[in-house]
Amino acid sequence: MNTNLKISNVTKIYPGCVANDNVSLEFNSGKIYALLGENGAGKSTLVKILSGVIMPDEGKIYLNENNLKLNSPLDAKKNDIGMVFQHFNLFETLSVFENLIIDSDEQREGLREKIDSIMRKYNFSIDLDIPVLNLSAGQKQKVEIIRCLIRSPKVLIMDEPTSVLTEQETNELFLSLKKFSEEGILIIYITHKLKEVMELCDEVAVMRRGKLVSVSEIKNENIESLANKMVGQNLKTIKKKKEKTSSDQLINITNLNFISEDPFETNLNDINFSVNRGECLGIAGISGNGQSELFQVLSGEIISDKNSIEFNKNYIGDLNPQERREYLMAFSPEDRLEQAAIPQMAIFENVALNNFKSSNFFNNGLINENKIKEHSKKIISDFNVNTDNIELKSQFLSGGNLQKLIIGRELITSPDLLICFNPTWGLDVGAINYIHETLIKINEQNKSIILISTDTDELLKLSDKISVIHKGKLSKIMEADEVTSEKLGILMGGGN
Amino acid sequence: MIKIVKRDQPSKAIFFLTPVLAIFLTLVAGGLIFYILGFKPFEALKFFFIVPVADMYGFSELLLKATPLCLIAIGLSFCFKSNNWNIGAEGQLTFGAIVSGGVALLFYEQEGFYILPIVILAGAIGGMLYASIPAILKTYFNTNEILVSLMLVYVSKLILDYLVVGPWSNPEGFNFPETRQFSDSARLPLLFEGLRIHAGIFLALVAVVMSWFVFYKTYLGFQMKVSGFSLKTAKYAGYKGKKMIILVFLISGACAGLAGVGEITGPIGQLHREVSPDYGFTAIIVAFLGRLHPVGIIFASLVVAITYLGAETAQIFMQIPKYTGQVFQGMILFFLLASDYLLFFKFKFIGSKK
Repeated sequence: MNTNLKISNVTKIYPGCVANDNVSLEFNSGKIYALLGENGAGKSTLVKILSGVIMPDEGKIYLNENNLKLNSPLDAKKNDIGMVFQHFNLFETLSVFENLIIDSDEQREGLREKIDSIMRKYNFSIDLDIPVLNLSAGQKQKVEIIRCLIRSPKVLIMDEPTSVLTEQETNELFLSLKKFSEEGILIIYITHKLKEVMELCDEVAVMRRGKLVSVSEIKNENIESLANKMVGQNLKTIKKKKEKTSSDQLINITNLNFISEDPFETNLNDINFSVNRGECLGIAGISGNGQSELFQVLSGEIISDKNSIEFNKNYIGDLNPQERREYLMAFSPEDRLEQAAIPQMAIFENVALNNFKSSNFFNNGLINENKIKEHSKKIISDFNVNTDNIELKSQFLSGGNLQKLIIGRELITSPDLLICFNPTWGLDVGAINYIHETLIKINEQNKSIILISTDTDELLKLSDKISVIHKGKLSKIMEADEVTSEKLGILMGGGN
Repeated sequence: MIKIVKRDQPSKAIFFLTPVLAIFLTLVAGGLIFYILGFKPFEALKFFFIVPVADMYGFSELLLKATPLCLIAIGLSFCFKSNNWNIGAEGQLTFGAIVSGGVALLFYEQEGFYILPIVILAGAIGGMLYASIPAILKTYFNTNEILVSLMLVYVSKLILDYLVVGPWSNPEGFNFPETRQFSDSARLPLLFEGLRIHAGIFLALVAVVMSWFVFYKTYLGFQMKVSGFSLKTAKYAGYKGKKMIILVFLISGACAGLAGVGEITGPIGQLHREVSPDYGFTAIIVAFLGRLHPVGIIFASLVVAITYLGAETAQIFMQIPKYTGQVFQGMILFFLLASDYLLFFKFKFIGSKK
């Protein structure tokens, strides 16, 4: 019973981005396959196509030579494709058993025996009658896996399964996966962690920017070669000219910690760094490793210990974003539409979100609309926002123009430090270049930047110094000149 | 063939037309219900919506009912605009009535110009105190304000029950569950001889003007608008989220409390078990029917007030239970929510022509 899964010329286009560009792949049972790539490389899209969550624009999928039409996740299940997502899809208050039988059409009693035998076979020990909320993350994942195994799948897809597991749970998972593979289940393992690929998989397919870059056997690869393929060769063509930066320290972070109550957030662990005037510090990393939390701590959306952030010789760790702006800091968050701007409000109203005392937008609690509008017009002309109507709702601006408006709004107050998070995410080349030029210009004016980005090319192009964030911890800070994309790739994947 | 297409942006005209459409559909559906019950639909609708306001007395009654609805809805619009779901205005009204009633009883044998302002102030403070409970629980203990504010309604009604039956009941009242009558100095003055409409309407009008000013002219209003659209943005801008949550609850509680004062010091003149025919709940419908806009709320409160009057007339002349009024209120909200679909989608007729 050999299983052969073939993806043939699959293309999926989202507005403004080709998520999968003519991807063809072939998998055979008996092996464990890794699908490797950075965030946004197109792994998730491909997996969603395989599990019926979305449909490809072009291309076909064959299982044992049969052309599959996967219109819904149910179709995937019926065709023996099982999928365990990164975030669990379990009902916390229902019992394990109830969760397992919820999408099954078999008889209850028969199922219990079946589940028991599966658990015996793979050495799982979970009490079927306790609520799921009492389980550990590893146990919950086992429940998800059992739910797939009940249907005796031919293909089992695991999407970043170790992101919530402890070291030991990870080892247990790997043992189980190897066992499944021996039994003839085809395993596709999606990850960006290089070490795991080397440890677990037999073959690896690397994706970058929607394209399949390479397919190779693990025995012919090592961590460095995979990192290189994943991140891509860096073309340092428009790199900013390196000048001697001053040694005048602007911001200094010491022993900064953040412990989140939300299990889907990342804790920050003993962050220390400093940035000098005129310098750009790049922070690389695969998203979800604490970047968002770091941004919020730096911007003051999350308040921390007063002494943990020293800015311009003031301790400001306990100030909120508005108070920090008065010390000449500015912030450009990752999410343009949900956070940095309000699409339903007019351009000039969005400008007023950066309320700087000396700009006099609000006098004695009253809105000073003329002042705001005057200011908005200046931003629009100074930063090339392509519109002349400041009463336009900002949802009608393109992504690039909106980002120019946001950066303009933050920079027009001449801050000493700009903290930005994925400033060019999802923009077209023209807008990206404009933003990059603007950022370089700030540095030339002896002002500083902290650039948190998941785009390695961008970081290498703009940064003077680079550090990598992994699981809420910063790596040592390196001179950008001495860093290669290869090295960054290894650090981003948790290597040394 | 008819196809449903998503609009590129919510249409502004539709935004103000849907309430009108909802009222029209309510009339149609109401007529249909009357027909099924065996009444002549047009005659029944006439009794419901026209007869009650055909004379000066009726018109005064309409304003009398619209006043608390408008006042409470204005207060609620502060909460709803900033994404705080206070649905316990009925409780805040009741508690405001209890506090102001208590103060009025203290002065029950006294006369003086100073009594009424104190009584009114007490009602506003009572409402604010009561609204601060869900606000503080929400901001500091992460509770859900919908549940807390709703549950507190019943608590306040039981407190009122206890007071009018027990410690505050009229010693000469033959054990009726009510307090003494307030003195004239604690009553809101009537505007016209022989009509029940009282000075409370000015409280509502002041609230309308104030809310318009705050929403559209002040930094506070701007912050509320931003928080209503996105809490993430409000946080990023550095607005003090917790303080603002508490503030909107206090404003809303004060308005509901004032509505309670208006009832007991206006038409009722004492405390008894039923200080409000669910004005606090009905005002939620008013707030949404008025699109959370001060002027819209004035019109919406008049429309919804008619359903109270109509239900009474229909009960008297046609022996239809007065709860029909609530059916109409429910239908208005139902059709309003349904026609809001048109805000985001439009029908496209695909015919022979392209």
